[in-house]
Amino acid sequence: MQNSNSSRLALVAAAAVMAIPGLAKAQVKVGVMQGLSGPPAIVDFGESYLQGVKLALKDYEANGGKTKIELVVYDDEANPQRAVSLAQRLIQNDRVPVVIGTVSSGNVLAMAPLFQKAGVPLVAGPAAVTSITQQFINEKPSYIFRCSMVTRFETNAVTDWAAASNRKIGLIHSTTGAGLTAVKEIDEDLKAKGKSLAVVEAAAPGVSDLTPQLIKMRDAGVDLVLNFHESYELTFRPLSRINYRPTIAGPWGLSSMKVPDIVGRDALEGTIMSQAFDASTPRGKSFNERMRQEYGSAYRWPLVASLGYDAGQIVFKAVEHVGKADPAAIRDAIEDTDGLQAVTATPTRPFSATDHECLDKKDVFLGVWKSGTVERVK
Amino acid sequence: MTFATLIQLMIGGIASGSIYALVALGLYVTHLTVDKVNFGQGDFMMVGAFLLLSTRAAGLPPLVCVPLVILALGLLGWALERVAIRPLERARRSPLGSYSWILTTAGVAFILQNVIELVHGRSVQHPTPLLPGGHDAIVHMMGVGFALEELLVVGAVAVLVAAFYFFVFRSRWGSSILAVAFNPEASSLLGVNTPAIKTGVFVLASMLAGAAGVLIGTLITLHPHIGLIFTIKALIVAAVGGFSNPVGIFVGGLLFGVAESLSNYADSSFGDLYPLIGALFVIAIKPSGLFAERAAHVR
Repeated sequence: MQNSNSSRLALVAAAAVMAIPGLAKAQVKVGVMQGLSGPPAIVDFGESYLQGVKLALKDYEANGGKTKIELVVYDDEANPQRAVSLAQRLIQNDRVPVVIGTVSSGNVLAMAPLFQKAGVPLVAGPAAVTSITQQFINEKPSYIFRCSMVTRFETNAVTDWAAASNRKIGLIHSTTGAGLTAVKEIDEDLKAKGKSLAVVEAAAPGVSDLTPQLIKMRDAGVDLVLNFHESYELTFRPLSRINYRPTIAGPWGLSSMKVPDIVGRDALEGTIMSQAFDASTPRGKSFNERMRQEYGSAYRWPLVASLGYDAGQIVFKAVEHVGKADPAAIRDAIEDTDGLQAVTATPTRPFSATDHECLDKKDVFLGVWKSGTVERVK
Repeated sequence: MTFATLIQLMIGGIASGSIYALVALGLYVTHLTVDKVNFGQGDFMMVGAFLLLSTRAAGLPPLVCVPLVILALGLLGWALERVAIRPLERARRSPLGSYSWILTTAGVAFILQNVIELVHGRSVQHPTPLLPGGHDAIVHMMGVGFALEELLVVGAVAVLVAAFYFFVFRSRWGSSILAVAFNPEASSLLGVNTPAIKTGVFVLASMLAGAAGVLIGTLITLHPHIGLIFTIKALIVAAVGGFSNPVGIFVGGLLFGVAESLSNYADSSFGDLYPLIGALFVIAIKPSGLFAERAAHVR
């Protein structure tokens, strides 16, 4: 009997606390959409980015965030139709005031109009295709932001270096939308710098061997191969067999810790890629250590995870600032983000009314594989 | 194109084509006997590859792992026949009953993909090399680099095809398979254990997929969804070679692999398309396949 009375008292007390404004924490749902199944390259991006977002939430809570944040996580399977359907679900059913995601650029481009029309801010990532934030930037206001690498910036960084290196350049790319966009941008960049591609070779996304393409590169005397095929490892596999050792440079995907596991450290040594995370800085070192503690061997992609972390920081800070599920106010708070302590090269004030990218061209630098780790190219 | 380049391209194509042929032989033997194929044959190969990955990671030597993997796949083939094919015999007379095995075998393939995803994750995996030195074990002759692992694949498949041919066409067990293929009811009356033969051909097909799984890791990186494309290519190879001729299937596999390699050299943008168009032409002109016997089927 006494127990029963105690329970009732506890329930009444809890109800009273909930009923008094200011005593209970406000709760805001944050939508997260990522590619968590489907092609392995997509999954590596999606899982790594989500790891970063989750660590940012943990830090937000540890630092005494007043607004309780609940993540609503969905897997879009890298499927544009599913992404659109999930976007509608997040907006209409879950009524989230802000969303983070996703991997596939095609998915982001397909669902961005829904978020813009509904007036719900989307912080895109880790999708990289250049046009993502440009779609609505002239609409005042634009609800589409991004915290990720930007294809144009990374091809700029790679082609700047390639053009200065005075080598014969070849390009291998996939026949996906992202691959074809990269070809166009690289070709334009190199022409603007007075250079041209000696050989351009393509491969479908699901191929298992690039020997024919690399033989053509070798026979044309190409000594710098720009590797913009998403199955990064395939470019390395035939090299010793066809007695060919060019320098390989490519996109940020080449910095995944899965790549040395697959390709081997020796084959990867000296490979160049675009970067926005410097593991040698105190903040970078600390982030790496914390991610290893949190995720162990499942932590495999510092750059993608760190961009996810920064996206999380920006969104959670904006939610905290607004304190309720108000999409328009959260959008404004995201755009006004200032004093951000980013772990990537993202500046302290990343956005403005005309720039919704975390990273600018100047923030993207080159990394190189040295003895199993990615170092910043000096 | 130099002669050395041509040889280099051909050896890569022959290695890939050998795997297609091995997967296709599994389709051939079940089609020959019970007029059904396992639509998850490529996924069975994938399971074999991941089983090898697990057993090697556990520290077992290749000489122990390889027979273990092939035996395990044999068991999987037995289970497939008992669970996903034999129960459908009762539904044969229903409108869709005789084709239900397409759904059940494809369903088993999806289940296997998901199980492997749960165990190994969705990321790509790099198998432990079968030979010391792995992909870097190269022999250079006349300006051509031969990867020892590729030579191993071609040699192993040639031996397996010869053994398969001997087993089916020269052994007593093979005679029972052909007898069941010709007339299952008459075979039963003559004392052939027809149900056991029907199960046995799926066991044999799965063991061939297991052997392909052991070898495929030397050529490509693995992930749980590699199976479907191999099933499709194996079906094409079987159709091009002739569904009633195992040697034709082997040659068809090699031709398809070499065609892929050469077409990717000629035009990498549509490299995988030209062999498929070629296969369509072959099937249109000679529907029974390039190497089909006059009697397209033992029946």
